[in-house]
Amino acid sequence: MEKGKILLNAEHIDKRFGITHAVNDVSLTVSAGEIRALIGENGSGKSTFCQMLCGIYTIGGGTFTLDGQEVHVKNQVEANKLGVSIIVQEMGTLSGLTVAENIFLGHEDPFMHNGIKDTRAMIKEGQRLLDEYGFSGIRAGSMIDSYNFEDRKLVEIVKATYMKPKILIVDETTTALSQNGRLELYKIMDAVRADGRSVIFISHDLNEILTHCDTISILRDGEYIDTVNAKEIDEDGLKRLMVGREIGSAYYRTDYGKAISPEVVLSVKDVTVPNQIYDVSFELHRGEILGFGGLSECGMHEVGKAVFGASLDRKGTVTLADGTQINDIPTAIHHSIAYASKDRDNESIILNESIRNNIVLPSLDDLAENHILKAGKLNRFAQEFADKMQTKMQGIHQFISDLSGGNKQKVVLARWLGKGSDILVLDSPTRGIDVKVKQAIYALMQELTAQGKSIIMISEEIPELLGMSDRILIMKDGKINGEFMRSESLSEEDLIAKMV
Amino acid sequence: MAEKNELRPSKISEFFGSDTFKGLLPFIGLVVILGIMYWLTEGRIMQPKRLRLLLSQVYYPMIVATGVFFVMTLGSIDFTEGSTLGVASIVVSVLSFYSIPLAVLGGILTGAAIGAVNGFFHVRFRLQSFIVTICTMYLFRGVCAYLTTETAIPASAEIKALDSDNLKIAITLGVLIIAFFLFKFTRIGNDVKAVGSGETAARFSGVRTDRVKFLAFVAAGALTGLAAFVNVIKVGSITSTAGNQLETQILISLVLGGLPITGGAKVRFSNIVVGTLMYTVLNNGLVMLGFESATQQLIKGIVFLIFVALTIDRKALKVIK
Amino acid sequence: MQSFKNSKFYGFMILAAMVLFFYALFKILTPSNFGSPANLYSYFQSSIIYSVGGCGLYFIVVMGLFDFAVGANIVLSSIVGVILSEKFGYAGFIIGCIGCGTLIGVIIGMLYNRLNVPSMIVTVGIMLILESVAVFTAGGVKQTLAPELRFFSGAPGNIILAAFAFALMWFILNYTRIGTYCNAIGSNEFTAKNMGIDVKKYKLIGFALLHFFVGIMAILTVSYGTTMTALTGMSTMSRNFQPLMGTFFGVAFRKYGTPISAIVIGEFIIAIIFNGFVALGAPTTIQNVVTGGALLAIVTLTARGGRGSVVK
Repeated sequence: MEKGKILLNAEHIDKRFGITHAVNDVSLTVSAGEIRALIGENGSGKSTFCQMLCGIYTIGGGTFTLDGQEVHVKNQVEANKLGVSIIVQEMGTLSGLTVAENIFLGHEDPFMHNGIKDTRAMIKEGQRLLDEYGFSGIRAGSMIDSYNFEDRKLVEIVKATYMKPKILIVDETTTALSQNGRLELYKIMDAVRADGRSVIFISHDLNEILTHCDTISILRDGEYIDTVNAKEIDEDGLKRLMVGREIGSAYYRTDYGKAISPEVVLSVKDVTVPNQIYDVSFELHRGEILGFGGLSECGMHEVGKAVFGASLDRKGTVTLADGTQINDIPTAIHHSIAYASKDRDNESIILNESIRNNIVLPSLDDLAENHILKAGKLNRFAQEFADKMQTKMQGIHQFISDLSGGNKQKVVLARWLGKGSDILVLDSPTRGIDVKVKQAIYALMQELTAQGKSIIMISEEIPELLGMSDRILIMKDGKINGEFMRSESLSEEDLIAKMV
Repeated sequence: MAEKNELRPSKISEFFGSDTFKGLLPFIGLVVILGIMYWLTEGRIMQPKRLRLLLSQVYYPMIVATGVFFVMTLGSIDFTEGSTLGVASIVVSVLSFYSIPLAVLGGILTGAAIGAVNGFFHVRFRLQSFIVTICTMYLFRGVCAYLTTETAIPASAEIKALDSDNLKIAITLGVLIIAFFLFKFTRIGNDVKAVGSGETAARFSGVRTDRVKFLAFVAAGALTGLAAFVNVIKVGSITSTAGNQLETQILISLVLGGLPITGGAKVRFSNIVVGTLMYTVLNNGLVMLGFESATQQLIKGIVFLIFVALTIDRKALKVIK
Repeated sequence: MQSFKNSKFYGFMILAAMVLFFYALFKILTPSNFGSPANLYSYFQSSIIYSVGGCGLYFIVVMGLFDFAVGANIVLSSIVGVILSEKFGYAGFIIGCIGCGTLIGVIIGMLYNRLNVPSMIVTVGIMLILESVAVFTAGGVKQTLAPELRFFSGAPGNIILAAFAFALMWFILNYTRIGTYCNAIGSNEFTAKNMGIDVKKYKLIGFALLHFFVGIMAILTVSYGTTMTALTGMSTMSRNFQPLMGTFFGVAFRKYGTPISAIVIGEFIIAIIFNGFVALGAPTTIQNVVTGGALLAIVTLTARGGRGSVVK
């Protein structure tokens, strides 16, 4: 293949998930024989962009032209046939199949003779490939289940690259690999480049990107920002390009210099959740908004669950000011802790239930008189707090699944307002929510802290952290990696430096 | 991720898919079936004698269905009613020679114990409820068969003397009223529905989901144990086939009553009453019309499939297994 | 790197150890009534009938589906086979059983795909219908297999047919796409779809294959028992569970890559336990207790959900 020729031309690629504009009119080109990095903060649209290219998501708008031919793929196998393959973030191999079956899943045709699969040949070919890649320790005829996560990742690498794709997408794979595995992956990427084909490489590790990539494209909030040459830029330069989002400043707090109360309402000590967070300790003060930031996988979301008593196998202690230990959800709720999950539809609201029942659920014990619940009282309660949140609905008996993301979140908050919780753990409170509701939620947060309630706000959006928090803790690899106080001079770069 | 989970309902279910229609369907079904039977039997099905017979077949299935209703509201399933009824009936019969209250208590406790076994395995080991309960159904069906290997087990004359419609009506109504109260006016009903609609979210809302699930199975067992008392009053002696296939009868009844197999917010307490009545009317009507049992079952099977397809809440199922 | 604990050999060792353990247990308890070579041979012959059905159920169970109509189809298919055998001899018998079995499987698969209702529920309805159809087909009389058509009633006929079924299963799992795709769908339906697998088609194939094996099981069942009576009232429910136990063994040992041996040996283990109890003097009515208890133990060890997982 001719080096330098345009291999992939993406024009006006677009994708919306409900209110979220995940990929916004992105146009870029990838040349043959280059390793292109794709970087951006959480939710900048890099993964969505790539998943459209290889058929995991349908294309929302625009066109991909691959090697001169417009492509519109329906699934991964079709993408493979056109010369695009992907190594995904999560587990991409399937249990219950042999290694060889996994490598050739969807591509059995070369081994089929009149409907009969030549398993020997398949295993032989699989083993030949594994040997060729230097993974001879993995046996093609064995069950994939008998290998650990990293080995399975290596099998996935073979699966994604053996057919010599024109474009290989590597989506945050390196975090799952040990140093050895990474070196293997880099070698393969180099080989693809040497062959005049291309790699699209997604990672948060800027050092890794600068060392192994030729060019770097930056996305921000779903929009294409720029493409730069890796030789002509350094980490700081990249960070500057990644940040600088529009801050809808009007919605955030404008006050600075508010003193944080010395009164501690909750203290978290040495909390460890295996494979998630390690030895996390911090204190939450009365009336403060404590922001938690970091990359998606840094463990900050688990901190919220741990505080709420929802983590499995948690070690360490979560203690309230009066000495109460929080170890399970009912205790947490009973002692005035509220939690709004990032996974709103599964963990916060009961999707197939009415608005009323969603609001009253945590407060049933308070609403019961001698254990008896009266419908009228429940209705009034639900109505009161749904109205307080200005929830747009047909009525409290409407099913919550009909509501927009913003209104669902209003119901979640209405429920905890009704419960009168004093400590609110809000995980990604404005995720996928339109500007107006966002504004309302920020206003509510300020109102609550003014009443002396405390908020832990976990957010993947740096401007939100800067704009709303009294104090910010940044996490990295499951540990707290930095603490910042609210200040006008605090910048996105400061936070990002502690995240990556 | 909405796209990945998309399920396209077929055109037929879109047409019949509205919740209003689904809610009314069981009532319409009951009236229609009653009407058809009235017409086909030229009114004989409404004769007082017939009605009494019909009612006598309603009592214990309705008590059992009330317990299973809670389990199915969770979205779980219980296949042990028949074998529980068998074992509990044996306990009631044996104890009836000592004291009637003891017999009643013994029946309820036996049922509750079996329910506790089901609930324990289901909750503790996270085994699917239908798998657990077909295992235990087998186990306790075997126990029932083993205890009746030699001869049928007789009950005392005292307990048989209790056989009167009034007592059975009183027990059945009592169970229904208490269950209705618990379901509608205490947090039990809310908790059970919440688990059925979204277990993870329910847990995050402070519902002790494991406890709720365990107790629902215990309740189903205990009520089946109480039904065993009603059964013993009626039949007088217990053979190995006591309660045979009761589980499927209850499943069909509740589905006919409009209970979505997925459980959750859309269950109605009326499902129990309407369903049990509809099953009994259908059953009796088919008998009166002189159909042989195979034809009766064929019709029941077809009606069952149609009702499931019409009432199921496909939105609640991400992947249909 | 792969550890010894995950090898095929290790899987076999566990199975062999289980056989030896239960054999030794009952042999010690009742040395005279249990476990002579002739005894073992007869346990084995009765267990392979269930193993055949267990093989068929494997295709469905690995996909996370279920089928309660297996028992009803055994009855219906064997009645169709016996009726056809009266006219066409062995050809009618074999084609009747297997043809009817497979046809029902295709119908179940189509209904499942069409109705969009959990397989467990659809098949309860279908079981009711098949039982009545079986009664109509049999005309309410006991169907007896003619004495000259009883090649499969004992060794070597039954063993040959069962061996054929196992070989076929082995072939399908290892030498066609079907085995791979069924496993893939069971592992993650969304990923499988993404890999271009036509999920509905393979679920249909799964049901068809299951009931093809059910057809073979029907041949063995009616040959072994020589007569078949169709009954309504969900009496066929009990026939679903013995094959299912083998399937659970198969699914549990899938990770060692030995599902078929696990099904066959698993059923043999159950037969040993059951016959061991009988040898101890327990009445045959204890059979269901053993079946239920063994099944519960197997699923507790193999089918547990993860902590915090949502299980209905």
